[in-house]
Amino acid sequence: MALLEGRNLRKTYRLSRRNTVEALKGVEVSIEAGEMVAIMGPSGSGKSTLMHILGLLHAPDPNHGPAPELLLGGENVASLSDNARTKIRARRMGFVFQDFNLVPTLTAAENVMLACEYAGIKGKQAKVAAVEALGLVGLADRADHKPSELSGGEQQRVAIARALVNKPEIILADEPTGNLDSDRSAEVLALFRQFNREQGQTIVLVTHDSEVGDACDRVIRMRDGRIRDQGHRAVDQLAAGEAVA
Amino acid sequence: MRLVRDLGRRKLRSGLTITGIAVGIMALVVFGSMANKMNALIGGGSKYYANKAVVSVGSMYSGNIQPLSLSDVKRVEGVEGVGAAMPTLDMMLSDTGGATMGTPEMITADIPGGDKGYETFKIDLAQGRTLATADADSKVTVLGSDLARKLNANVGDTVTLRDEPFKVVGIYAPTLTAPDKDAYVPLAAAQELFVKSLPPLIQANINPSVIATGIVVYPKAGVDPEVLKTRLEAMLGKDYTVMTGKDFDAMLGSFSAIFSMVLTGIAMLSLLVGGLSTINTMAMSVAERTREIGIKRAIGASRWRIRREIVLESAMIGLIAGLIGLGIGAAMTMLFNDLGRASGNVLFDLTLGTALTAIGFSTGLGAVAGFVPAWGASRLDPVTALRYE
Ligand SMILES: Nc1ncnc2c1ncn2[C@@H]1O[C@H](COP(=O)(O)OP(=O)(O)OP(=O)(O)O)[C@@H](O)[C@H]1O
Ligand SMILES: [Mg+2]
Repeated sequence: MALLEGRNLRKTYRLSRRNTVEALKGVEVSIEAGEMVAIMGPSGSGKSTLMHILGLLHAPDPNHGPAPELLLGGENVASLSDNARTKIRARRMGFVFQDFNLVPTLTAAENVMLACEYAGIKGKQAKVAAVEALGLVGLADRADHKPSELSGGEQQRVAIARALVNKPEIILADEPTGNLDSDRSAEVLALFRQFNREQGQTIVLVTHDSEVGDACDRVIRMRDGRIRDQGHRAVDQLAAGEAVA
Repeated sequence: MRLVRDLGRRKLRSGLTITGIAVGIMALVVFGSMANKMNALIGGGSKYYANKAVVSVGSMYSGNIQPLSLSDVKRVEGVEGVGAAMPTLDMMLSDTGGATMGTPEMITADIPGGDKGYETFKIDLAQGRTLATADADSKVTVLGSDLARKLNANVGDTVTLRDEPFKVVGIYAPTLTAPDKDAYVPLAAAQELFVKSLPPLIQANINPSVIATGIVVYPKAGVDPEVLKTRLEAMLGKDYTVMTGKDFDAMLGSFSAIFSMVLTGIAMLSLLVGGLSTINTMAMSVAERTREIGIKRAIGASRWRIRREIVLESAMIGLIAGLIGLGIGAAMTMLFNDLGRASGNVLFDLTLGTALTAIGFSTGLGAVAGFVPAWGASRLDPVTALRYE
């Protein structure tokens, strides 16, 4: 059974009465546990829209055409209430975005601790988890720094620490390296790769960067609101992934 | 502490809002303290007048009090239901007393023991003793606390009241009401001072020992002062005024109501100005933090949590403003009281209740003002918020 499975996912944005944008035109997608998948495609093809639906930030359109389905660990989460979706995001998912990932008034550790707090972990336990997560991304010594005192790559690593800290079932990242130069980008990618390999962390990342795509187990290609190619897992990578899992 | 840091991020705007509320709270504290003092004065009077009837000629509060004579006391004693009738003599301590604010300094006299044990209104002593029956013919006095401080007098000292030396035998503890500015003397001594204050021509025709300005009438146990008042009025005729506790309350109740209205007005004004200003500050701070709210919502902050965060921050603005306003207001009342004390004018009484009300009021105001922007923030779509420029 797939970890995350979507069928008939559609999303139409209504700009005005007449003017609508069909961002997703009926998408079927499946993410296996332990996979590291890239979603690629031209600008405006619906990558972010798909990621927002997979991450329960938006619900798929319920009522034109066949009913949408979104299964997380076998449970249909397509039409949950805002509160229920928020809870799943807090406890079972991790997020990394392109920019403005961190709360500027909080230190690195406090930013990571936010995720703990939302997942119901508080106080000393949260502090310990945050410091540990920062250690995993190589920023243990920057725990008390504000985002403005960190480089873009470091900020992105803090965001990754925050996404990891609750050991979520899946991490969703929307162009996490979009604002970084190629060296920083490689560092961040290496971190994702490492967590996927060593801990079997499921990761979905949206990217424009073919180097990032190449480093993933599988690349889902989108165009015009549809999936053009689901991609194939290389056999050796599959074996490596499953050996860890 | 995160809250305080968030406020610090928008120093100028938060500072202006805090200043606005603080000014309102300061006004609230100062006027509230003044109202406390007024209400204490009125409350003290109300207690004094409870369960007795006071007879005078003319109206006591028109300031046009004419002396009555001791023969009136005999007539009053004969009325059914009267337990005791005691002549009193009240006069201004100085004829130039018009410069004082609040209650004037008075010389107050009665016959020690003349209440026959009916009097229930007792003032605690700070030093010495009260006037006793044996003092009837001596020039002794018990001073109210403010007057004692002004005259810098202690028990054993001699003070000059209307050019006559009086020996201080006692000093009352502060009541924060009118008696603090009184000098209590035996009736005979006051009668002498009273006559001396009259023009020489009249002096010659007056026997000091029959003069009084009022008669305090104590009803026998179980007799309603109001019923007694009707009987006294029937007997004395309309040249006399009979005042009971009920009359006193009716007369000064309206005074107290006006004061409460002024206070409520100030409170409403500061509510309006401070509240709108806080809503504005918080709405702007929410707009500035749209993306931050988007991030928080995305990684799992519930709507409720976002609302709470903003309401708490807003309440914090109110709390800080309240503390500052209270601090300045308290400093002002203390300063004015210190300045006034020398002349015996203590005008403010900042009670714990007033302080807590001011703080609670401003904190509540902040919290309520925060609800509007908090509601908006919690309804933001996380994805839209993340994209917000
Ligand atoms: N909130 C919105 N309102 C209106 N239209 C939107 C909204 N979000 C996305 N769209 C439109 O939906 C389409 C898909 O957008 P989406 O952001 O998913 O593309 P994308 O593949 O992530 O592109 P990019 O690579 O530029 O990030 C685009 O045409 C976009 O203009
Ligand atoms: Mg996108």
